[in-house]
Amino acid sequence: MKKGLPRSFYFVLFYLVCGVRILTAQVQDGRELVHATLLTDTATVQAGQKFHIGVLYKIEPDWHIYWKYAGDSGIPTEIEWHLPPGFQAGPLQWPLPSRDKEPGDLEVFAYGSEVLLYAEVTAPASLPAGPIAIKADSKWLVCKSSCVPGDANLSLELNSGHTAADPALFQRFAAQVPRVLPGNYQLSVARQAQQVVVSFSGTGSPASLDFYPEPPPEVVLGHGKQSGKTVTFSIDSEGKAMDQLGGVAVIKDGSKVEAFQVPAQEFGKLNSADGGDRGQTLDLVALLQAVGFALLGGLILNVMPCVLPVISLKIFGFVSEAGGQPEKAFRLALAFATGILACFGLLAVVVVLLRGAGANVGWGFQFQDERFVLFITCIVFAFALNLLGVYEITVSAGATGGLARLASGQGYASAFFQGVFATVLATPCTAPFLGTASAFAFAQPPLITFLIFFSVGIGMAAPYLLLAANPKWLGYLPKPGEWMMRVKQVFGFLLLGTVLWLAWIVGQLKGVQEMVVLGALLLLIGIIAWIKGSFWNPVASAGTKWLSAGAIAAVVILAVSGYSFFTAPSKLAWQKFSQESLDAALDSGHPVFVDFTADWCITCKANERFAIDTATVRNAFTQQKVITLRADWTNGDPVITQILKQHGRAGVPMYLVYPGGKNREPALLPELISAQTVLDALKRG
Amino acid sequence: MIRTLLITLGVLVSNCGITLAEVQVGKEAPDFVLTDSNGKTHHLSDYKGKYVVLEWYQPDCPFVRKHYNSGNMQALQKEYVSKGVVWLSIDSSAAGQEGNYPPDQLNQIATKTGSARTALLLDPDGKVGHLYGAKTTPDMYIINPQGVLVYQGAIDDKPSTALGDVKTAKNYVKTALNAVMAGQSVATTSTRPYGCSVKYAQ
Repeated sequence: MKKGLPRSFYFVLFYLVCGVRILTAQVQDGRELVHATLLTDTATVQAGQKFHIGVLYKIEPDWHIYWKYAGDSGIPTEIEWHLPPGFQAGPLQWPLPSRDKEPGDLEVFAYGSEVLLYAEVTAPASLPAGPIAIKADSKWLVCKSSCVPGDANLSLELNSGHTAADPALFQRFAAQVPRVLPGNYQLSVARQAQQVVVSFSGTGSPASLDFYPEPPPEVVLGHGKQSGKTVTFSIDSEGKAMDQLGGVAVIKDGSKVEAFQVPAQEFGKLNSADGGDRGQTLDLVALLQAVGFALLGGLILNVMPCVLPVISLKIFGFVSEAGGQPEKAFRLALAFATGILACFGLLAVVVVLLRGAGANVGWGFQFQDERFVLFITCIVFAFALNLLGVYEITVSAGATGGLARLASGQGYASAFFQGVFATVLATPCTAPFLGTASAFAFAQPPLITFLIFFSVGIGMAAPYLLLAANPKWLGYLPKPGEWMMRVKQVFGFLLLGTVLWLAWIVGQLKGVQEMVVLGALLLLIGIIAWIKGSFWNPVASAGTKWLSAGAIAAVVILAVSGYSFFTAPSKLAWQKFSQESLDAALDSGHPVFVDFTADWCITCKANERFAIDTATVRNAFTQQKVITLRADWTNGDPVITQILKQHGRAGVPMYLVYPGGKNREPALLPELISAQTVLDALKRG
Repeated sequence: MIRTLLITLGVLVSNCGITLAEVQVGKEAPDFVLTDSNGKTHHLSDYKGKYVVLEWYQPDCPFVRKHYNSGNMQALQKEYVSKGVVWLSIDSSAAGQEGNYPPDQLNQIATKTGSARTALLLDPDGKVGHLYGAKTTPDMYIINPQGVLVYQGAIDDKPSTALGDVKTAKNYVKTALNAVMAGQSVATTSTRPYGCSVKYAQ
């Protein structure tokens, strides 16, 4: 019946609907959508007594009023108290709002159904006789799909005998007001370039942390992104440099939700009930822990296949050079250890410099930046493959040759260079660990980076010092053997576990799509590592090396073009498909092309790229004024399912071509189409 | 070998970088094409060499109405358009949402309110709204003759719907325009916009 009606009917209908809408916009009044009443928790008040007054807002279903920070749009609800002389009102208490989404990815902090905003009032030391008048003027903005301002001038009388108190109501809403942060919880609010990172530490271990910010008015914040115990906000713009941010921390533990007020403090200071000192010591504990692990890591480096066999040789060397002077042997070992430390110092310098250079060009080296996490995941994965023996890391002979000359001979200087030499020679085995550590160090301040790297160095040098002091202990050294390979492989699996954790972070930050991109990247690295390990090794002929280099280049080109193929936006002007949009398109008399597709449908994507979104088809569409509609079946829309069935199809892709004019019978194209198929279907009409 | 691997990875990772709406004060304002309520097409790049004001607009929003019913917005438009500024109001209300009207009706509203803007651009699919990250109506952007964004945010410092506030408020747009047009730097280059949400598609 709809299809037969003349176009003028739709115009009339449209104007009617719009007209009514304007009318309702004028009739709707914020005072009717929100019913505000002034309430108290005590009917009678005595001199010096503390009590509460509040405004209860009862809000129409589906409408909402705003919290003290409204979010992307809206206006905070306002209350102005008018109290008799001597009465003092405290700050307004705001129960925890809900964080809501509005169309267009806008986020607001709002209250629906009902909320009580209240304040504590202190009565003066002497009270006048008779009733006490309390007044409150409130203004609010109430929104659903449209917004309407409202206001109310409210009053009540205490000590008059005709005001009912409702202490239970005040108690109910007081339970929803954020509390002071307890001592076992610490929150740090830190600024990192154009981001604010709120992170949680402390002895309590909540399931999830959220943060409702209260930014100053000159600052536009992005939406909080939760990831484990941190919430990250982008600073989208700031009129004045933002040096502090307060807000409400929302901690969920099972079904329990607790909210804590976090006062605005300068960035970098810890927030907790009993001051920052406790946080400082906790930080120290975390740092000591990291140093401990770094020492242990350095020690473990010694059981790597390229390191362990060297230890005994070196120690024997020192002992024989010292010629029966144990002290000299130890000093030689000390020079050797200094050489090792120098290498690690250099590595730390490189990391710190790179980090500084990167930060200058605006790279955020932190776990809230998904590009950094992607990068670090790729590195960890590549090193895991190395540990598992897929390929070997080789040190170029040119670099080692010079070092070998410096390290030859005797004396402390040569012992120092022997330390450097040993560290460089050990690279094939230690690179996976040091590389991973360096990558993670990018997210740390310089001082910590140096501390960690030196700790690794000390850990690695420790056996030399110990054994040079007590050469007899050499007997306790485990014998080199195949077990070293197995240890290496076990560490490979540990790194793969790390990859899993990093992938989870990427998923949290960016969702499934980005996780798949990461998976594809790892696959690519796997292929490259396999080519490198199997064909591009020291024993391979020059021809094989060239071939494998070509293969690697081909794989990379294929991956990059594949990525852009799947993510490039269409150059056609697609409209969203619905029965209404189809009817409207058919009514216009132009030909109509409907693309039934889904994000996960590879055939659909291939058809779109190679047949539909091609120059010839685009030209034909423009010339014949074809209206293009896209029906997205990604989430199994039931309406689209029905239409697919009508045309005898169980799924996508499906293409319908309506010839235009009065003919409403579509041509059904095959599942695999070429540009010619589309052009032919258009010609037939 | 490690270096090659790192470079390859770097290239790949930078390719995967998700492009975000990068509208920032001090950076070039991204170009767009929109049709106005009279069917005329406007490219932002057409106006290189002139100051451009973008005003996110939605006739039914009480905050927008505050500035039109008080005559504040029209006075600003008149003053600066006469000084050669291009004033583009943009309605990003999606079909079926508040503030989405047929062009003739929008023109009627414009005549009734005595608007003095250069053009009212229609952005029903919210493309330009999302490109600029417009969140509220009104939400104001000032672009200099070199095409660089010099101000973004609220129209003034009184987030309310009360007509009377217009007189006492500090108008950020006026202050910024006066400053840049006199060759001075803008004191407040960005603020948080206030108002109704832009009525994007549900």
